[in-house]
Amino acid sequence: MAETKESAEPPTILVDPIDMSKLDQSFCNEIKSMPYGEELVACFACTTCTAACPIANQWDYKPHQLIRMIILGMREEVLSSKEIWECLTCFQCQERCPQKVRVTDIFFDCKNLAAEEGKVPNSIVALGKLLLETGQLYEVTEDWQREDLDLEPEVPGLATEPLKEILKTTRTGRLVGSDE
Amino acid sequence: MPIYNLYMGCSVPANYPNYEAAMFKVAETFDMTLEYMEDVGCCGSPNLRAIDFFGWLLVNARTLAIAEKNGHDIVTPCNGCFGSLKDVLHHLQHDEEDLKRVNAELKKSGLSLKCTIKVRHFVEALYTDIGIEQIMSRITRPLDGVGIAIHYGCHVLRPADVTEFKPEILDELVRATGATVIDYPLWKQCCGATVLPVNEALAIRLARDKLKSMKEHGAEFVTVVCPACGNQLDLQQLGLKDSFGEEYNLPVLLYPQILALALGMDESEVGLELNRVPADPILDHLSG
Amino acid sequence: MVEVNDTLSGPVLIIGAGVAGMTAAIELADSDIKTILVEKKQTIGGNALELYKAFPTDDCFYCFEGSRFRPGIRKCFYRSAMLDNPNIDLRTNTRVDEITGNPGNFKVKLTTGPMYVDPKRCIMCGLCLKRSGAFSLISPQCQPQAVFYDPSLAEESVKEIEKECPTKAINLNAQSTEEQVEVSDIILATGYTEMRPVNMDEYGYGKYPNVITQLELARMLDPNGESAGALIRPSDGAPVKRVMMVQCVGSRDENYNLYCSKICCVFALKHANIIVNERNGIKTTVVYMDIRTYDRHERYYREARESGVRFVRGRVHLVRPNPDGSLDIIVYDSLLDRYLSYNIDLFVLSTALEPSEEDETLQRTLGLNTSSGFVAPLDLANDSVVAGDHVYVCGAAMGPAEVPESVTQARAVVSKILQGRQ
Ligand SMILES: Cc1cc2nc3c(=O)[nH]c(=O)nc-3n(C[C@H](O)[C@H](O)[C@H](O)COP(=O)(O)OP(=O)(O)OC[C@H]3O[C@@H](n4cnc5c(N)ncnc54)[C@H](O)[C@@H]3O)c2cc1C
Ligand code: SF4
Ligand code: SF4
Ligand code: SF4
Ligand code: SF4
Repeated sequence: MAETKESAEPPTILVDPIDMSKLDQSFCNEIKSMPYGEELVACFACTTCTAACPIANQWDYKPHQLIRMIILGMREEVLSSKEIWECLTCFQCQERCPQKVRVTDIFFDCKNLAAEEGKVPNSIVALGKLLLETGQLYEVTEDWQREDLDLEPEVPGLATEPLKEILKTTRTGRLVGSDE
Repeated sequence: MPIYNLYMGCSVPANYPNYEAAMFKVAETFDMTLEYMEDVGCCGSPNLRAIDFFGWLLVNARTLAIAEKNGHDIVTPCNGCFGSLKDVLHHLQHDEEDLKRVNAELKKSGLSLKCTIKVRHFVEALYTDIGIEQIMSRITRPLDGVGIAIHYGCHVLRPADVTEFKPEILDELVRATGATVIDYPLWKQCCGATVLPVNEALAIRLARDKLKSMKEHGAEFVTVVCPACGNQLDLQQLGLKDSFGEEYNLPVLLYPQILALALGMDESEVGLELNRVPADPILDHLSG
Repeated sequence: MVEVNDTLSGPVLIIGAGVAGMTAAIELADSDIKTILVEKKQTIGGNALELYKAFPTDDCFYCFEGSRFRPGIRKCFYRSAMLDNPNIDLRTNTRVDEITGNPGNFKVKLTTGPMYVDPKRCIMCGLCLKRSGAFSLISPQCQPQAVFYDPSLAEESVKEIEKECPTKAINLNAQSTEEQVEVSDIILATGYTEMRPVNMDEYGYGKYPNVITQLELARMLDPNGESAGALIRPSDGAPVKRVMMVQCVGSRDENYNLYCSKICCVFALKHANIIVNERNGIKTTVVYMDIRTYDRHERYYREARESGVRFVRGRVHLVRPNPDGSLDIIVYDSLLDRYLSYNIDLFVLSTALEPSEEDETLQRTLGLNTSSGFVAPLDLANDSVVAGDHVYVCGAAMGPAEVPESVTQARAVVSKILQGRQ
């Protein structure tokens, strides 16, 4: 009872603003330093990216808002958003951005940061696992089809070990490993 | 007689052997030598880029380095592989630091990358190295002007400064077969394949919108140059009857299948029976 | 009294010695036309006097390309050239009281306030400044270079100072004087005044000392100013760490002025860039509804974003003062549809640029067209600087304008007058 009383004290005003001093001011620079992040701050919030995006109307955070949230330092919200994972990586936003902000590439950067913190949808972790364990996303199963078409049943030159070896040492290994 | 490093990736051989076969038939006709690259596999796809940028760099830098060793341009029939390889190459050409890090890793297996190699989609090679004129001169059974909608695919078109791909290439290649290229408003839109793992309903909706736009603007067939796009647009049609009560009956052909047929090849040689939406109506549009 | 009967050779009266008025005066003088340049303040220069760096060149004011060829003047050529040109009759501390007569032969009554300090004698030794607060320097860049005396602040000591002034420049018994002049043409170059939004409750201007206007900020940024260019809180002189600016205060708001003041976006960004690039570590956020950096000035916007200035599209919800002198400002971010709360030291309002105070009387006397209180040309399409028969207008008297624009208009006025005299 006492606890609820404490937390339930209403604020002086109904408006419940985001306290800017509590946001992560370094987030913007962090993204800026990542691949294709340099142009991030050139964004002038024109919303062209959102206008270009085929699925933004399904999203709580539109592409321009995500970019804005990055600039403002809303790290938590961006990195745990479902939107960065639903992004089709179709680059339509990026293609049309009048300030050459590499919107799609920046969402890739966000996904990498989220992955570093283990915030990856299970279905994507599963793909990582598949890569790590089989060295590929698709395996030839119906080799008779290939033979019927005069193709070698086994893909010539195919090697799956190198990819497995590489991903063991990089983040995929850590991500999938920690999942188990 | 140009020689190429053929990078297959994992999807075409597993899901679209007919694409692979048709590509070889076409290549053979024009004396293009496609040599399967040795010791390579999957590119990791955008999914790997999303969770493990450096891993993705390494995997693809390795492929590029292997190709660089024997000097022939890479060609690939897959937009995903094309996108990954182009993107990694572009990134490493512009980021010395990452190139150093990558090379330090590659060195362990005796490889090194100078970023001098060229990566091209198979249709680009066909267009630039063989040329429309040459192609047309070999067509024996041109199509009768039937309407074909092209789905280029996101990762071949964009980002344009990375992919350097001109959509007109495909337009001209399709026209060379005698078909008509259908203009439809959603030509740039994604097929939805990438979002399948996280939101299947959304993926289906995107495929449906795309097909609807094609159909509404007079397409009778669809052509693609990517196994993922092909799979999405072809396979999803089977489910659309249930989810949307809509039937499109739009056969989806890989471009080399169409070309091979127009070059006089037999339907079995291009594996037409493996296409999900029955594709044999295309045969009715071939002369002779 | 100046006698004129000939409309083709009479002197030209220029009202207002800002950039526009000064340009007109010097260029007419160059063509051997006599001018009477009337300025109500003790110094010429107008609003541009204390603006530090100017867009579009980022030079110190008055050093625009095209003026540099003038001999002997590296800085502030207009103001110094103005004083010794025989064709320019400069009257500071002077107002236009009455205009009668006819176009081509106006009779104008001028009233000059008491000249307590004779600018021709004052050598700026500083003696009086040290001894009494009644003497002050309007600006280190003032022209003529002389101190200013405010009788309302007079103390006992001023009598002694008057005696001790080494050049006998001070005359505490000075009286205002009146004179009637006859002129053939009148140029209105009365410029603008910056709105002081004391009655806009939502921003707390006039209530909280750390809420200031852009001109006040410009003065603070000027290395020649009181704080030597350092940003300090007016409330306690503490160094400023966080600045917030808000655009369109009193502009584009039909409760105040319906027009866009046109240049406030550009100078706000100019200031923001100076702050983040030259005053290390000060964080700056700009709250806006549109950023209107017309034509080439777009680069200020881009540069601002790249330099780390942050932008919020939206409006201010609430300003709350803190005991430590800082302000909490809650802003509605319309792009995110969220409220953001900032803690800042200095709140700078980009307020409207309004017509000068006495403009209305002048406009009425001369029977001029007006638009939102500014002088409107007779024919906007063809003669944008002609306001009436033998009456011309240039610079911000026509509406908010940047310096290059004001100068161009002044030159257009000059060529109009020259054409009329050929
Ligand atoms: C904060 C700020 C920053 C700016 N920065 C820039 C910049 O970087 N670059 C740029 O190009 N522009 C800038 N401007 C605009 C610049 O101030 C104007 O373009 C310029 O001052 C206009 O000159 P003017 O001569 O028309 O008017 P003013 O400068 O306003 O001069 C008018 C003069 O007329 C006098 N006067 C008025 N009425 C009377 C009267 N009845 N009798 C006698 N005298 C009278 C006034 O005292 C004044 O001296 C800035 C403006 C502001 C507010
Ligand atoms: S299109 Fe570019 S500039 Fe416009 S809001 Fe999106 S990222 Fe920002
Ligand atoms: S890349 Fe992602 S955010 Fe950009 S348009 Fe495509 S789906 Fe939208
Ligand atoms: S004492 Fe006289 S000369 Fe010195 S500044 Fe004052 S007025 Fe000027
Ligand atoms: S210039 Fe900018 S701040 Fe000034 S009124 Fe226009 S839009 Fe508002």
